[in-house]
Amino acid sequence: MTGHAFIFRVLVIGVPWLAAIPAAFTRKHSRVIGFIASSVSVVLSAVLLRYAASSTSLDEALMLLFSCLTLGAILVLPRRDCTSGTIAGILFLLGSTLLAYSAEHLAVLLIAWILTTVPFFAKVFAARTWRPRIGLMISSIALAGATGLIAANGYHLSIDSLKGESPGGMAVFLLLLLAVVFRKGICPAHAWVADAADGGHVIPTALLLNGHLGALLVAKLIVPLFPHTAHDLFPMLSYLALTTALYIAIRSLTENSPRRLLAFVGLSQSACILAGLESETAEGITGALLHWVVVTISTMGLFGILRLLEVRFGENLTAGKHFGLAEHAPRLAVFFAVFGLALVGLPGTLSFCSQDLLIHGTLASHPQTGLLLPIAIAMNAVSVFRLFTRLFLGKRRTGFTIMADALPRERWILTAGVLLVVLGGLFPNAFVAVQSAQAEIIDQANDTPPRRYLTADPDFPSLSPPRLRTMSGIRSGFDGAASGN
Amino acid sequence: MSAYEAILVFVVSAPGLVFGIFGLLWLLGWVPVERVLSAVTAGTYSVCTVALVVILWGLGASGSSSVVVTFGNWFAVHDYHFPLVLMVDRVSLPFLVMTVILSGLIGRFSATYLHRERGFLRFFLLLHLFAFGSVLAFAAGSLDLLVGGWEIVGITSVLLIGFFQQRPSPVENGLRVFAVYRACDIGLTVAVFAMHHWTGTALFADGLPKLAGTRPAIACLLLLLAAAGKAAQVPFSGWLPRAMEGPTPSSAIFYGAISIHAGAYLLLRVQPMLTASRLASIAVVFIGFITAIYGTITGRASADAKTSLAYASLTQVGIVFVEIGIGWKSIAIAHILGHATVRTLQFLRAPSMLHDYHTIHSAAGGDLSPTGKHLEDLFPERLQLWIYRWALDRGHLDTIIDRWLIQPLMNLSRLLARLDGLGLQQVSTRRQAPAVSMRSIAGQGGK
Repeated sequence: MTGHAFIFRVLVIGVPWLAAIPAAFTRKHSRVIGFIASSVSVVLSAVLLRYAASSTSLDEALMLLFSCLTLGAILVLPRRDCTSGTIAGILFLLGSTLLAYSAEHLAVLLIAWILTTVPFFAKVFAARTWRPRIGLMISSIALAGATGLIAANGYHLSIDSLKGESPGGMAVFLLLLLAVVFRKGICPAHAWVADAADGGHVIPTALLLNGHLGALLVAKLIVPLFPHTAHDLFPMLSYLALTTALYIAIRSLTENSPRRLLAFVGLSQSACILAGLESETAEGITGALLHWVVVTISTMGLFGILRLLEVRFGENLTAGKHFGLAEHAPRLAVFFAVFGLALVGLPGTLSFCSQDLLIHGTLASHPQTGLLLPIAIAMNAVSVFRLFTRLFLGKRRTGFTIMADALPRERWILTAGVLLVVLGGLFPNAFVAVQSAQAEIIDQANDTPPRRYLTADPDFPSLSPPRLRTMSGIRSGFDGAASGN
Repeated sequence: MSAYEAILVFVVSAPGLVFGIFGLLWLLGWVPVERVLSAVTAGTYSVCTVALVVILWGLGASGSSSVVVTFGNWFAVHDYHFPLVLMVDRVSLPFLVMTVILSGLIGRFSATYLHRERGFLRFFLLLHLFAFGSVLAFAAGSLDLLVGGWEIVGITSVLLIGFFQQRPSPVENGLRVFAVYRACDIGLTVAVFAMHHWTGTALFADGLPKLAGTRPAIACLLLLLAAAGKAAQVPFSGWLPRAMEGPTPSSAIFYGAISIHAGAYLLLRVQPMLTASRLASIAVVFIGFITAIYGTITGRASADAKTSLAYASLTQVGIVFVEIGIGWKSIAIAHILGHATVRTLQFLRAPSMLHDYHTIHSAAGGDLSPTGKHLEDLFPERLQLWIYRWALDRGHLDTIIDRWLIQPLMNLSRLLARLDGLGLQQVSTRRQAPAVSMRSIAGQGGK
């Protein structure tokens, strides 16, 4: 990393953290402070991405995405929620997440990982139930355990120096997987996500979930550090991710709480990200990275709109009956429909491309279980559409006195989000090219030659160098299945 | 790019541009007046019709069989690519002409029919989006692109079913139709994947790639699933009467003309592959035949005009499927064009049906003999009663799907919800909503 890049990174991370201090004590101007700090992060992340080397541009792309997301969240935050504590917490979360993205040292990653969870143990963001705290705590403990074991085995904690080393063996690998499972909400550790969305502060919780640090751990740590173990054991995690996608999709069919429903759909869709990352195909990994962008923007938009509705129409919204809110808030209805359908693969949006790649990659990698993915996506689409119809369509409720549609501030930021997913869908090459380059990086990480094996057993099954499987490389397996051989 | 290629690009993009521009302006606060919207609609489809006539004339004059526009890859990753190819040939041209002419006519009709209706702008936006999806699907040069148009047609169809959003019944029926579409579209998605996997492409602009062994059968059966869902073939026919909740102009263009025939178009597009698989051909003929029988029997027990017309459409589309399965491609296309035209007219006249009947009744001197009972008279009376009950419940199709598919899925979902709640006294202290009923997904039943 050059000196300038280092300074920029320090600024990108430091500005939100520093801004969180005055924001915590100034109620009147807290949104302005948050806006300025997150805008600075957006600009600096964009500069970093512009001049980043291809080997690190995944970090910069994610930093830019999350900065934009936070900026949008601060703008769309209803006035009722725009307290000094909320803005300070969001800025702290932004700084911590950006630190996690840019971490090149395991200890730094661990600290950032833990720091992102801190606001959710504090009163301002905490959920009412114990499961979110336990889920986040277990994931942190698992990552701390893995880091400790690596250090105890005498390794240097720089991520670059650990690549391909399988440091700490199977125990570390399993601890990292545990951290991913709990942080991502992979089955059976999924319930905390819905609890957090349902009982906590919805927009900051959506930001926490959309950091996708679990997927980051897979892309940045597990694949590069454990290429052989990952190659052998990834199918297991991939099955788990696919099962999660389907399990949550079925679960959400009867969910009536809008917050939980959105959390479930987001979770199911983000499990697809893991399935794609683990597919070991170029299409799957590119699709997963692209889907990361789509899920992040769409779920953030959906949670934001839901919160706006709750503020306007009360918090007792349910998908169990019709509210007819489109009569009162037609633009919010359209934004909700576009974000919702964008999340589940509406043609003309970026998710159509991402899901096309994801489904191809996953089906190619796992022909039988890969079929679960389109089924899960179809169910998620039904759930999202059900929520849309229940909230926005049906008989107009007359109990509301003041019904404001999207305010200009909300309208412009939501329009920007819609344009991003739509224009990204119409002209996806720019996005795909960037994500394809990232997929190459993960591919190269997977191709790292082995230097040390996980066990002392010389016949450990991953002796043959693993390779990222392309469509042609894995065609024979699918052919056998399809032709009944 | 030649003049014909430019014209084709214009025809495909024009409805999408109109939708995009009006939609974006509305989102930013501008609401166009009815007159502007009607004029733009009429202008767009008039120009598109002329443009297609020029292409038709050009094809005839040059003797070439198709116009193909290649834009390269929409996106590409390694050896997987999504080709952006538009094509108009002797199969797609009739469908394109039918789509733009009927869209223009429906636009003109709706300008009067929906005058001062609260959803006037919404209807026209969805009409343009639908026309864009249809034209994209029919002009697609690859299955990948066809999927895009196909999905857009599906979503606009669903949104128009719920057009009268104040009533819960259309909204719930729209949800049901959406669920059926999404379930059946899995077949299309997997078929496209399989084509890519086996041949490296899903292009059909240069002819479909050759498949051997059981592969044509697998691909065709997957496509048949999607086609049957979109064309409301048995066992997915239950959604069609529910779709009649939408405004009459949208029912006319969707379920009398274009959307209902999209499944047949898909099968026509892959007909060389269908011919290569006897199993798939038999399956197409079988489903079409069963649907035709089902449609004619059920339609006779329908009490309202639009539902009767919907079942009449179903019968004809079933016969079209049979024709495609047998391999009578030209007859199927002619059948589709004729049927779409007549059925659209019938749908548009449906609100005036009583008036029309009285006019004909008077013209006949007050003596109109009932017709159409000769088929029923062939059966014994007990069988007639049984068939009547069967037809009244629309062949029990929805009941079977609800009981054997949706209800178990809902029960499983509820079980998972209970598992999720283990260890918590209350899952949510703030909201305690009742578990969703069967009707949430199963809809409220048709009319």
